[in-house]
Amino acid sequence: MSTPDSSSTLSKPSTASDPGGEPAAPPTGPAGGAISAAEAVISTARLTKRFGTTAALDEVDLRVRGGELVVLLGLSGSGKSTLLRCLNGLQPISGGEVSVLGQRVDTASRGELRALRTQVGFVFQQFNLVGRLSCLENVLTGALGRVRGPRYGVLSYSRALRREALAHLDRVGLADRAFQRADTLSGGQQQRVAIARTLMQRPKVLLADEPVASLDPENAGVVMDLMFQICVEEGLTVLCTLHQIDLALGWAKRIVGLREGVKVLDREASGLTRAEVMEIYQRVEPGRPEGAGEGLPT
Amino acid sequence: MTAGSDPSSSPGSSSPDSSPASRSAASTGLLTPPEPEPAASAGPAIRPPVTRNGVQLTLTALFGVVAVVLSVWRLDLEPAELTDAFGDLGRLLKRMWPPVFDDPGRIAELALETLLIALIGTVFAAVLSAPLALLAARNTAPNRAVQAVARGIITFCRAVPDLVFAVLFVRAMGIGVLPGIMALAVHSVGMLGKLFADAIEESSPDPREAVRSTGAGPLRELVSGVLPQVVPSWIATFIYRIDINLRTSVVLGYVGAGGIGFALKDSLSGLVYDKALGLVTAILVIIIAMELLSVVLRRVLLSPPRGDRTGRTAPRDPVKVSAPWTNERITRAVSSTLLAATFVYGFVLLKVDLRELLTSIGDIFQVGTRLIPPNFTLAGWKLFGAVVETVAIGVVATAVGFVLSIPFGLLSARTVSPNRVVYAVARTLIVVIRAIPELILAVVFVVAFGLGPLAGACALAIASIGFLGKLVADAAEEIDLGPVEAVRAVGGGWWAQLFSAVLPQLVPALIGNTLYMLDVNIRHSTILGIVGAGGVGFLLFESIRTVNYEFAGGIILIVFVIVFAVERLSGWIRSKVI
Repeated sequence: MSTPDSSSTLSKPSTASDPGGEPAAPPTGPAGGAISAAEAVISTARLTKRFGTTAALDEVDLRVRGGELVVLLGLSGSGKSTLLRCLNGLQPISGGEVSVLGQRVDTASRGELRALRTQVGFVFQQFNLVGRLSCLENVLTGALGRVRGPRYGVLSYSRALRREALAHLDRVGLADRAFQRADTLSGGQQQRVAIARTLMQRPKVLLADEPVASLDPENAGVVMDLMFQICVEEGLTVLCTLHQIDLALGWAKRIVGLREGVKVLDREASGLTRAEVMEIYQRVEPGRPEGAGEGLPT
Repeated sequence: MTAGSDPSSSPGSSSPDSSPASRSAASTGLLTPPEPEPAASAGPAIRPPVTRNGVQLTLTALFGVVAVVLSVWRLDLEPAELTDAFGDLGRLLKRMWPPVFDDPGRIAELALETLLIALIGTVFAAVLSAPLALLAARNTAPNRAVQAVARGIITFCRAVPDLVFAVLFVRAMGIGVLPGIMALAVHSVGMLGKLFADAIEESSPDPREAVRSTGAGPLRELVSGVLPQVVPSWIATFIYRIDINLRTSVVLGYVGAGGIGFALKDSLSGLVYDKALGLVTAILVIIIAMELLSVVLRRVLLSPPRGDRTGRTAPRDPVKVSAPWTNERITRAVSSTLLAATFVYGFVLLKVDLRELLTSIGDIFQVGTRLIPPNFTLAGWKLFGAVVETVAIGVVATAVGFVLSIPFGLLSARTVSPNRVVYAVARTLIVVIRAIPELILAVVFVVAFGLGPLAGACALAIASIGFLGKLVADAAEEIDLGPVEAVRAVGGGWWAQLFSAVLPQLVPALIGNTLYMLDVNIRHSTILGIVGAGGVGFLLFESIRTVNYEFAGGIILIVFVIVFAVERLSGWIRSKVI
């Protein structure tokens, strides 16, 4: 249904790879090509996602090793969030291949997808907590993938699960707020509850979608430090989108840049300079006039 | 589009420069460069551009006025007759006074029975509505076909009046409380199902997505991601519905479906008016008590959280990890236990048998099938006249309610009322009017004025003043006070503030609520006939009493179509105004 030709007719000039090119060849960057399919925990091949006629992702190839900490950078609308959501099947893809933890995501059955999701933690920009429920109950929903039957209320979860949830809350420093309504917490605290919810899943992979974009700089630093520290301790494979370059350079082992759905950078973070990273944010193609040029009087 | 569709501007469109109105319409509509205008004094009159929306609304308003005039004419409402009627009412009240409570124990028992019927019926309705709402909400329905069917069931339950269900169920199951309970339950699904589904549609998709991303299946996603978000709104709707059902359950006895209504009917037909007033007083007491209780419940259960202090929300026991007993948790536990206990107690006291409930479904189904195929011909033109009368009663009552609720509502709004005394008097009046069920009003008016549509129209009109008045008052208390201040700042007095700052903000709410009121009034006016207060209800109940089910089916179908049409019409007008 989605032919390479239809994507090439879209306004995707120089950086787009040749429609008929090699399937697994990454268009740019040295780091991506070095990882074999066997050691990749997350791998996409020519991943394409279209919304109507606009391509949010255009043939993205990405491989992430186990335990690697990768930060995705790019302007809003560059396809970062879409990429993450394609990885755990929250968003069906239009073309290409996606596999995570050895499971093909694009061809997975509903049951297989659910089984995969239990191992993939997801941290949302807007925390996605149920505001009316207590912190503890929000954390407990992280266990839903491994319990049977619907649950309503803290007491519907076993005592062992409740204890585990409290331990995770303790880890993010909020055990003394366990029974406070989530919507009475500050943004930073809410994101910490959401991280505890993700830990409750005992995930192997963590996908974080702009986890600190809604927080003030100080809280953003606290939350990022906490999240990455836990990930390192647990040996999680992390793919995190950010728009703070300094935070990215401080924590990431590898940095991947997206621009208008196309991968434009994929390099080890050590040795990368700020200026090199800033190039990701260059929206305009060289040699073309500024944005709304045709609207101006000549 | 803009000027051409308006008949009033047709002379202008033939000769473009003759009419100032057409010129302003054309220049705004077509974005042509403005023509050089002459100096101020000789300039054209500045009028708002004629838009398609404006024309449609003007025509609708004209249609509304014509409908009111025709309705008044149809009901033969004459000033002389009205003054006579109020004389009759005075004489009746004199004969009722003082109220007699000859057997307080019996009255209390009937009042309790009435209350329990309302409660159990509403609980049943909520139990039926929750799954139905999940199927009917856009964002939780499994597919469009299921959604359409669920919406259809909900609309049907709302369009058929509760007393019609009650009469049919009494016919199928015999006299008793169970048909009353079931009638309330089935009809309430119409409102609860719709409002429950609306709440689901308004819930945020984010928590659901979070639950889904943990690998939970669809059912767990609903229970953990959607349900917690909608519960407060569902509880508020449920409590509100108990209030409404209590008002209906006091008249269920009129059709043999249990409660205090039967005693009322008995004492009125036996001309024991003082005893009837005693019963009416008892009814008012339980309704006002319930209203106060629901205010308290709503405040306790639905109040926003207080800022918690650190430590107070830590688990009591780190091993058991159970919630601390906060005030909120205590009230929630106590009120839900009380509700459950009352529910069970009601089952025992009213001797409701669940097996009977199951076997009765067959009987109801049988009566239901006998309504088909509907027959419209039995009463000939009488049916047509009765239908017109029903609509006319609804229209007149709504018009009276609309006109009188504006002053009433504004005077009982704290932000608008000129002083505290006026505010207190107007508020109290509205509370009292709202406490009286419209069918009780109709009963009293039938006794005072005699059989006929006048009694019904007056009853519904008074109820409308109470209902709309409260909505106007609430809307007026929520308006943005900035514009009021602005008018005061340019030196405007009370009237100027009212017309330039308050009323313009109230228009959408006023129109929306009036249309809703029309919807409600037409539904109510179909059942006024049961107490002899006019409309198609008399034919309907007669036909069921005399086992002419096909004819009853025809009338129910007509009622359904009218209610549905009014609902669609009001939806259309609301979308134009708001």
